[in-house]
Amino acid sequence: MELIESLKIKEKLYIEKLKNGMTVMIIPKENTNKKYVIWGTHFGSIDNHFILPETGEEVVVPDGVAHFLEHKMFEQSSGRNSLDTLMALGVEANAYTTNNHTSYLFEATNNFYEALDELMDYVQNPYFTDENVEKEKGIIAQEINMYDDDPGWQLYMNALDCLYKENAIKIDIAGTVESIGKIDKDLLYKCYNTFYHPSNMVLVVCGDFKPEEILQEIKNRLVEKPMQGEIKRIYPESEEEEINKPYMEADMEISKPAFLIGFRGKNEEEDKVKKHIAMEIILDMIAGKSSKLYQKLYEEGLLLSPPSFDYEFDKNYEFVMITGQSSDPEKIKKEILAQVEEYKKGIDEKHFERIKKKVYGDYVTEYNSISDIARMFLSDYFKGINSFDYIEQYNTVNFEYVKQVLEEIFDEKKCIMSVVRKK
Amino acid sequence: MNNETVEIKKGIKLHQIQTNKFKTNLLAVFLSLPLTKETVTKNALIAAVLRRGTAKMHSQEMISQNLEEMYGATFDCGIEKTGDNHTIKFYLEAINDQFLPEKEDLLRRGMDLLLDIIFNPYIEKEMFKEEYVEGEKQNLKQIIEGKIDSKDRYAIERCVEEMYKDKPYGLYKFGYIEDIEKITSKELYDYYKTMIQECKIDIFVSGDIKENITQDIEKNENIQKLIERELKLLKDEDNTEVLDVKKVTESMQVTQGKLVLGLQINGVEKEESYVGTIYNTILGVGANSKLFQNVREKESLAYTCGSNYIKRKQLILVRAGIEIKNEEKALEIIQKQLDDMKNGDFSEEDIGNSKNLILSTIDNITEEQDTEISYYFGQELSNNFISVEEYRSKIQDITKEQVQKIASKVKVDTIYFLRD
Repeated sequence: MELIESLKIKEKLYIEKLKNGMTVMIIPKENTNKKYVIWGTHFGSIDNHFILPETGEEVVVPDGVAHFLEHKMFEQSSGRNSLDTLMALGVEANAYTTNNHTSYLFEATNNFYEALDELMDYVQNPYFTDENVEKEKGIIAQEINMYDDDPGWQLYMNALDCLYKENAIKIDIAGTVESIGKIDKDLLYKCYNTFYHPSNMVLVVCGDFKPEEILQEIKNRLVEKPMQGEIKRIYPESEEEEINKPYMEADMEISKPAFLIGFRGKNEEEDKVKKHIAMEIILDMIAGKSSKLYQKLYEEGLLLSPPSFDYEFDKNYEFVMITGQSSDPEKIKKEILAQVEEYKKGIDEKHFERIKKKVYGDYVTEYNSISDIARMFLSDYFKGINSFDYIEQYNTVNFEYVKQVLEEIFDEKKCIMSVVRKK
Repeated sequence: MNNETVEIKKGIKLHQIQTNKFKTNLLAVFLSLPLTKETVTKNALIAAVLRRGTAKMHSQEMISQNLEEMYGATFDCGIEKTGDNHTIKFYLEAINDQFLPEKEDLLRRGMDLLLDIIFNPYIEKEMFKEEYVEGEKQNLKQIIEGKIDSKDRYAIERCVEEMYKDKPYGLYKFGYIEDIEKITSKELYDYYKTMIQECKIDIFVSGDIKENITQDIEKNENIQKLIERELKLLKDEDNTEVLDVKKVTESMQVTQGKLVLGLQINGVEKEESYVGTIYNTILGVGANSKLFQNVREKESLAYTCGSNYIKRKQLILVRAGIEIKNEEKALEIIQKQLDDMKNGDFSEEDIGNSKNLILSTIDNITEEQDTEISYYFGQELSNNFISVEEYRSKIQDITKEQVQKIASKVKVDTIYFLRD
């Protein structure tokens, strides 16, 4: 096993690549009663077009299939539902689907190995029937309806529509009531057999473990599968760099308009971690709690709390999002753009150093919770990142670099706004 | 126990929780006072005004800069209903010195700042700065108006409001728009001065802190200014007998209907509230619960369906997000689950599963700093001190007969439905 240690935050990571191609990551934490395990496959909502490694067949699947599969994995041939079995053991179990991965997880204080038996059993043994697939459509349709009533989700989906003409990230994770109608058991098996191969999966554990022991326990529970070649994924042609449209709005019953201001990045191959750190510093400097801009907008009653910031990136997309609620979204956008222009002329070095300290504290605080740690290592893994790098590379981000990133991303021509207005 | 409590002055307690599980120290100060229509809005406003400035740092900007300098220490405040009382909560979280690139005393710096924010506010002309109060009045208005933004929460809030009409627990924790306008800066400051000398004060310090910090707190100038106090907290009112089920339907632009049932448990004896926890878990917590199994899994009527138990009020809230046309059907199935519980139509396995779930919640108390603080604070308020081990064994001893007995005391009080 490979050992990586972070001396700054006093944590260790053990990594092992198994013979079947699966990666196991172990982060031991001695002072905790809890044990957390998360098993993820590199299959998310954007993976809707691919070539089967065995037959070379090119497949296009309906939107929402990764998420549908996640729901159906719990079903067992015995008629039991694995989620029920796990809950009955007193462990907190869940699963979720994102743009690029699907994960199955649980957190236990007792009965950890019994629960691990169940988790590793149900993820490796799917049981789909025409009947149980049909039944799930009603439940997922209700989930889609719930998101339809969620202003935050509408805001986000419209923002993606502004940023890209064609990009797989625009696909709604749950799909639509219409698209999931086309899903049947054969399709689910096809996706399962392709993407749930160990070579496409990573398992992360965090808690009071002896690394060698837990690794053996995991190996003991793995079913042997023949090796599989690489899955070729096809994404829409990477389009020109222009945004799709600068503005979109929707009406919903909310107390105050919600806004999302986005900037589309170029998506270049570079040091992602370093850029991410710089981006967190810049966003906080622009409109964070101690920024001049936030204070001004707060005093004018235009912002009640600092906007939230997101920087999302993967191979096929890169964007920044600034989200909040305000009675005057246009003014917020104007002010943010003006602030960006001002910073392009010069940044206050003291302000920069102060926010840099804050960002360090944020990174350290993420190591408070074993579930945050495990989820962070898993999702970073699918982006090709080792999470410790944020702490390790922190010091390489200097004043000059931050200015360079600011110039590159915050371009008015690449700026969009999505608004949900009060009906 | 790793929680040491000392009474610094009558009505003011310090609780120090030693734990080595975290990278941070968490400091919390809770002010508790009776929940009344006259004070609820003022309390919410005070929490907001206090974060605007201290006698030493006159603006929010200065406070924020100071926190950023402390490696991004975070300050937070909130307001909560604790049964028939109201608690204003202030938190400050800062990295433990062991994980800093250089030595600093963030613990003491943090404590001084937190106490300054609460007890040493920025004052102009013998009152809170008017501009701050006016600004926060507008903000509070927006928060109250924002109640409708999350339809799930709104429906729950409305059900409670209808169920406890004209009673303290029916009040909205952020107060009322019509009361905001009337509040002047002078009046608010006068109220604040009385309030901080009358409320119950609990200070919590959680983290890997080797030394005893009681003396530091006692010597703090803000703590010295506080006087001893007789506590006036309200004892939670008992539920009254349900005569008719109250039915409320409201319409709004929603795709999904939100159904909430308010159930009350009458005549609960002290030890029975542990049984109530099991009853509620079998009924509506997690994937094995009757509600989840029947409303979602068997009938595909909902994506979410479950229940919450508010021990202090002996209240259970059942909630389901459903298609609007399925209201009757969903109600029928929910009622069936309540009847099944009453008729003892649940197994030993159900009880065992629920116990497992509750025990793991208990084992998790010490795994999050704010959860552990809330646990001790809950005991402090109810004056019922049991260790985590005792709590575990009380849960383990509960029998089916006890659960069925509680089930017979559960009555539907209010049915609230939010639709299009």
